[in-house]
Amino acid sequence: MGREVSESCVDNLIIEMVSAYCNRFYESKPDLAARRIEAIGYQVGLQLSERYTMERPRFTDHLEAIKFICKDFWSEVFKKQIDNLKTNHRGTFVLQDNRFRWLTRMSVDTNQTNTDSSLDTAENKETQSASMHLYFPCGIIRGALTSLGIPCAVSADMSNLPACSFVVRIKG
Amino acid sequence: MIVCVSVVGHQNNPLYLQSFTEEDDALKLHHVVHCSLDVIDERVNNPKKTGSTLNETFLGLLYPTENYKVYGYLTNTKVKFILVTTDVDVRDADMRNFFRRFHSAYVDAVSNPFHVPGKKITSRSFAERVSTIVKSFGLGGAV
Amino acid sequence: MADPSASYLGKTLIEEISPVVMVLGTPLVEDSSRKNGLSFVDTLRPFSLFHDIDVPVRTASDQPYRLHKFKLRLHYASEIHQPDVEASEEHLKNVVTRASDVDTSDLRSDPPQIDSLLEAAESESLPSWFQIFNKELIHIASFSEHEAFDHPVACLLVVSSKDEQPINKFVELFDTNQLPSLLSDSIMDPKILKHYLLLHDNQDGALETDIKMLTEMRSTFGSNECRLLTINSAEDGSTDWQDNPWIPHKIDASISQDLGCLLNMDDINEMKNFMQDLASKHIIPHMEQKIRVLNQQVSATRKGFRNQIKNLWWRKGKEDAPETSSGQMYAFNSIESQMRVLGDYAFMLRDYELALSNYRLLSTDYKLDKAWKRYAGVQEMMGLAFFMLDQSKKDVEYCMENALSTYLKLGSSGQRNVTRCGLWWTEILKARDQYKEAAGVYFRISNEEPSLQAAVMLEQASYCYLLSKPPMLRKYGFHLVLAGNRYYISEQRKHAIRAYRSATSVYKGNAWSFINDHVHYHIGKWYSFIEIFDVALQHLLEVVACSHQSVATQELFLKDFLQTVQKLGKAFEVFSMQLPVINIPSLKVLFEDQRTYGSVGAVNIKESLWKCLEEDMIPLLPAARTNWLESQPKLSKNLKDSNICVAGEPIRVEIEFRNPLKIPISVSGASLICQLSAEPESVESAVVNQADNNVDGNSSATVFQNDSELIKLKRSWEQDAGSSFVLSEVDFSLGGSETTVIQFVVTPKVEGILNIVGVRWKLSDSVIGYHSFDTTVLKKKTVKGRRRGGQYAKSPLKFTVIKSLPKLECCIHHLPSKAYAGELHRLVLELKNRSKFPIKNMKMKISDPRFLNAGSLDDMKIEFPICLEKRINSKESIVQPNDVEGSNGLLFSFPEDCVIEGETTFTWPLWLHTSTTGRISLYMSIYYEMENSSNDIRYRTLRTQYDLEVLPSLDMSVHVAPCPSRLQEFLVRMDVTNRSSSESFLLHQFSSVGHNWEISSLPPDGAVHPSQMLTAGQALSCFFKLKKCNDLASEGMPSSTTLHGSDVRLGPHDSEKALFDISRAPLANFHSYERLDQGKSIQGSSNVDFILISQLKQNASAASDPPRLFSHHSCHHRQESKSLIHLLVVGYNGVQETFSHEGCIIVLPIVLRNMHDACVIVVIDQAASQVDVRGTALPSNGNVWNPVKNPREITQGTDGHSDICISFSPPYTQTLTNAIWGSSTPGHLQLEDNSMTRSGSRTTTLTPNTYKASRRVIAWFYHPSHGNWKRPNLARKARFVTINNLN
Repeated sequence: MGREVSESCVDNLIIEMVSAYCNRFYESKPDLAARRIEAIGYQVGLQLSERYTMERPRFTDHLEAIKFICKDFWSEVFKKQIDNLKTNHRGTFVLQDNRFRWLTRMSVDTNQTNTDSSLDTAENKETQSASMHLYFPCGIIRGALTSLGIPCAVSADMSNLPACSFVVRIKG
Repeated sequence: MIVCVSVVGHQNNPLYLQSFTEEDDALKLHHVVHCSLDVIDERVNNPKKTGSTLNETFLGLLYPTENYKVYGYLTNTKVKFILVTTDVDVRDADMRNFFRRFHSAYVDAVSNPFHVPGKKITSRSFAERVSTIVKSFGLGGAV
Repeated sequence: MADPSASYLGKTLIEEISPVVMVLGTPLVEDSSRKNGLSFVDTLRPFSLFHDIDVPVRTASDQPYRLHKFKLRLHYASEIHQPDVEASEEHLKNVVTRASDVDTSDLRSDPPQIDSLLEAAESESLPSWFQIFNKELIHIASFSEHEAFDHPVACLLVVSSKDEQPINKFVELFDTNQLPSLLSDSIMDPKILKHYLLLHDNQDGALETDIKMLTEMRSTFGSNECRLLTINSAEDGSTDWQDNPWIPHKIDASISQDLGCLLNMDDINEMKNFMQDLASKHIIPHMEQKIRVLNQQVSATRKGFRNQIKNLWWRKGKEDAPETSSGQMYAFNSIESQMRVLGDYAFMLRDYELALSNYRLLSTDYKLDKAWKRYAGVQEMMGLAFFMLDQSKKDVEYCMENALSTYLKLGSSGQRNVTRCGLWWTEILKARDQYKEAAGVYFRISNEEPSLQAAVMLEQASYCYLLSKPPMLRKYGFHLVLAGNRYYISEQRKHAIRAYRSATSVYKGNAWSFINDHVHYHIGKWYSFIEIFDVALQHLLEVVACSHQSVATQELFLKDFLQTVQKLGKAFEVFSMQLPVINIPSLKVLFEDQRTYGSVGAVNIKESLWKCLEEDMIPLLPAARTNWLESQPKLSKNLKDSNICVAGEPIRVEIEFRNPLKIPISVSGASLICQLSAEPESVESAVVNQADNNVDGNSSATVFQNDSELIKLKRSWEQDAGSSFVLSEVDFSLGGSETTVIQFVVTPKVEGILNIVGVRWKLSDSVIGYHSFDTTVLKKKTVKGRRRGGQYAKSPLKFTVIKSLPKLECCIHHLPSKAYAGELHRLVLELKNRSKFPIKNMKMKISDPRFLNAGSLDDMKIEFPICLEKRINSKESIVQPNDVEGSNGLLFSFPEDCVIEGETTFTWPLWLHTSTTGRISLYMSIYYEMENSSNDIRYRTLRTQYDLEVLPSLDMSVHVAPCPSRLQEFLVRMDVTNRSSSESFLLHQFSSVGHNWEISSLPPDGAVHPSQMLTAGQALSCFFKLKKCNDLASEGMPSSTTLHGSDVRLGPHDSEKALFDISRAPLANFHSYERLDQGKSIQGSSNVDFILISQLKQNASAASDPPRLFSHHSCHHRQESKSLIHLLVVGYNGVQETFSHEGCIIVLPIVLRNMHDACVIVVIDQAASQVDVRGTALPSNGNVWNPVKNPREITQGTDGHSDICISFSPPYTQTLTNAIWGSSTPGHLQLEDNSMTRSGSRTTTLTPNTYKASRRVIAWFYHPSHGNWKRPNLARKARFVTINNLN
């Protein structure tokens, strides 16, 4: 099948991409950076889903597609499956990954200098940077689902690192 | 022999159409492929088919025109592969095999970062690969 | 499903498969009926269809039922035969053509939209002529002998009452040898029901004779088979019919005279009754009767098991019968024929069960007999019967499929039946909403047909696809295209166009460009065939700019397009034609308001660069500008939203044209479209603005939009003939897929508001393309020449034209494009003022004064380079070196009094000195004000830019070292290398700059490098002596401002060549800029600068032209040395002394020089001076003298005394007793950097002798910056002092 690259390379690449977009290209406007990163993820998702859905019957409904994302797609990309899938049966799915690979390398600075202000600033700085790292996977999910004919919006939120959950809202 | 293979995007827009005949019948082939989309829509949207064939990627023989046979293949991403052949009797296995290889070629082509999704496939290597697949069609060529 | 007989097919079947009545009439009958413009049959035809005849019938098995709808088919005996092919073809053709005339009236309207088509299909409003056509097609196959329902059931014999002996007439009318073949060659039963009719024409007198005749007839032929019919009882042509019963039956509606003019109501009623009776009283009972009879026979011979077996065996028996498909083998009395007749009669009387059973039997028989045609016919009828019985789809399909395929097998003989059968089948399928299958059948039979029928079939197929659920639009389109082709082949152009037009709605806007192009192209071509050129062009336009097609196709498209345009005759105008494609974002507007440009290069320089160049030259910056705008309220408004340009000065617009095709195209007469309106709020501009808004509004430009745009552009194009401005016309041609930038020029002549609306061009001299500039696109990008005044709202294409202003043009004479580094040129700046008005206080800003410098007028007096040479009466040069602080260029203001009058030129010298190598571009901006201060522009700037390439020439480096023997003198080594590729230089002079330096050759009288030549690549070092003249002298005048220096002539002494005066303006200026450029501060008189002046060795040919002068500057040289402090003890060779009194006092001057550029404190130490030169250690009584103090304490200002001890020691004596010391100098003395001081030491001695005074100086030097002491650094000097006794 395809050639393989070392995992650390991919990790570094992603980290570098995120930092490049956040700190170099669009330093002033993080939302724009987020959009760009998400767009990159989108295209990656398009192409990956194209590849990973080979040799499998077409999905009849949304749930199947989402399951595909949770199981095969996720394990293709992250070598593990989504840990928990919730839905409200009205087009909203919550995919929870208790140990999201791309957040595992992310260190939470424990021995914070202990004035509250600096602490929480550090906290939300770190969360902010982490959320930047989550735009890419969001884009991937959106791209994959869109290419499967399911237009949707994907957002992510981190409860506590390295767990995070992706919320998929299917449009229409 | 295989007359023409074609890739049609999920908005039924032609992404790739290659004719393997000498004579200049591009227009006719376009028509044939274009019409076959009707059949594909019918196949996919009419649930009167049995469940097995309903969501299988290989759609089998779409329709025989006066001198062609048109086979179809619909990927999960709503991309259609359409093959026009003049062979009277084609082994189903061959056809499936062909489409599988064609699909992988297509996937590699669109995974090229310089390929714009939804635009025509202009990659030369893809064209070469397709032509080899077409040549080896029916010879039970290995993937 | 609904009642099949209610369906369309049901109705048609009832009409088409109905009893045939053969009519035989005498000529006179025809004559009398012709009076109504009708044949006799036609006269009766309206009354042969009974909507509710209501006849009771009994089936063979005695079930009663009633017939309601019924029809008789009247045909002349002459018509009862197979219609011949050509005639029928012709007939069909007429049908289609008529349809095309009716149906294609709307060819000019827009093609139908797909959704409208859909609902049209829902409402069954398909072209109605299809049904007529199908009927005709079915009729072609009629009267075949293999099926019985076309065989006449009855025969109507008509004789006019004017015929003599009508009885005989009747007899001879039914004369077998002129009967149709069906009867004559015994295909059908000749014993046929006869009916005798006596026709009475009321215009030929009364009835009496006729009544008699009727009775006579009755007696001969039987009472109830005879009848009298009266017609033409109306008075001449009085009656005219509101709804003429004959019109619908006359297909070829050529109504010469009004039909049935002589028939009145009574005639009508009589005819009605007659037909009614004929049908109900004679024909139907006759058929019923016949059915019974035949049924008995059939059931007797064929029904039941025995008969079946027998039949089979019998047929086996006649296996070897001649194989034939024609019906000769079945005579009318053969059981098969009878069964067929039975079946058909039953069918006609709606007894489908019976019909079906017989058909079943028959089909097996025929099959066994291989009578394929009959077999197929029977199958066909079975299918129909199944349908009428509303049986399962499967049976119907099976039968029809059988019939069709069998007919197909038969080839040509079966062809017509194929069509008919197919049509039946399609109708069946349609009636059952199986449109897709119907389409398939249509397609099948279309293959069997000549192109015209095929076309119609295909079109019907396409409509079936449209009607199928879900509609299969692509197939619809495809079949329409096929149909269109067939139509075209059979010269039905209008139909072809119609088909293609409906197809366009399918392909519109999808990416299948191949198909789309093909369709549009052909529609266009066909329109041009039928000479509707404008529509044709509309369609051709769609394809003419196709970039994806092959070269050949593109050529073809373009050729046809142009041909059509020529056929159109008049110029064809297109709005926003895509050939060539205009790249609107690439649009650039170049115009001049305050800022005028001297060269093309200058235009392309970034505005910011000019801004920062001009900033301290232009009085009014935007802030200020608003001020004076407020002062003119009337202008302020439209100045805000438009640019200013000057009447008579061109506005240049650059647009990018791209050729989408792979073939070259030629464009001619391309020019802008402009509107110049006198007052700001003019109609045109308003129109334009709102039109622009439109364009902004919906980018998807509809046809109407385009038209309006086109109209507007055209109007503004035509109206500009009013010579208020001048437009340039450009002709160019684009190669395959080539892109060029075209520059258009518009020159307004009068004041007002100028709008550049769009561009217009001619494609290969026939097509005129228009394109309007959508200004929104441009507002985004910043266009060159726009004032960055924060006025982003304004459109770059709207100009306020103000009345013409003076405009300077400048050129610089003899500016070289190539020069060698260090070359010195005198240029002449020439300013032309073409306008009437004078121009006053001009200023000039030069980007890089190192290179370019303004001279003074008197530089011009003497020619170059003599003007630079030293003159005897060398008065102080006027020019002070300019203030070099203004780092971004040199601002030079011309003298107040110089004013350029109108139409005069003005020259001013410039100096060019190429100091560095490489490509250099010089920017120069000249500011000037107008004499007549026009209200909105008071000043202008002229921006010019020059590029020149500087090649390497000499490079000089200077190295200065202190002279060992003299403090004030330095050795200068000048290394010069000729880096030029080929040229060789003559070194001319080497000058040091500044008063306080004086350079001289070394050796003093020697000639330095007598042959001044320095060839390419050669290196040379010369040595000079640099002397510092005493500072005191230079204190007087401020040094380093005026560069008076000293020069050394390089080359032979006696060369009478004058030296150049480096203190003259250009050299001095350039030098000061060089200093600035070569960095460091200019202060510090101890730094010395050198200038090397050389000339280019001219080869003999160019000896005439003035020598090219070079000056190389190297600045800020200081004299290095190893030691920090130079100490010099001035000794004496001899001192005369009479020791009359106590000892002699010797003053030994010490000169100390600080070579370091920091303050130094020197302590002169005597403690260290105990050492004898000869090494004999002196008794260490040195401690007698106060020892050296700790320098720190010294600085701390304890008693600042230290003695210099000179140890005098007589050469050959050890004793020191005869020496007495006494000496005192300030022990530590402070030396400023690079300064000198003298201190003295005084000693006394008693006896003459030769003494050595050895000195050691300890310099503690002290940096005020960081207040610590540095390691002492020693300097030692020794002198022998010989003191001779005088006596």
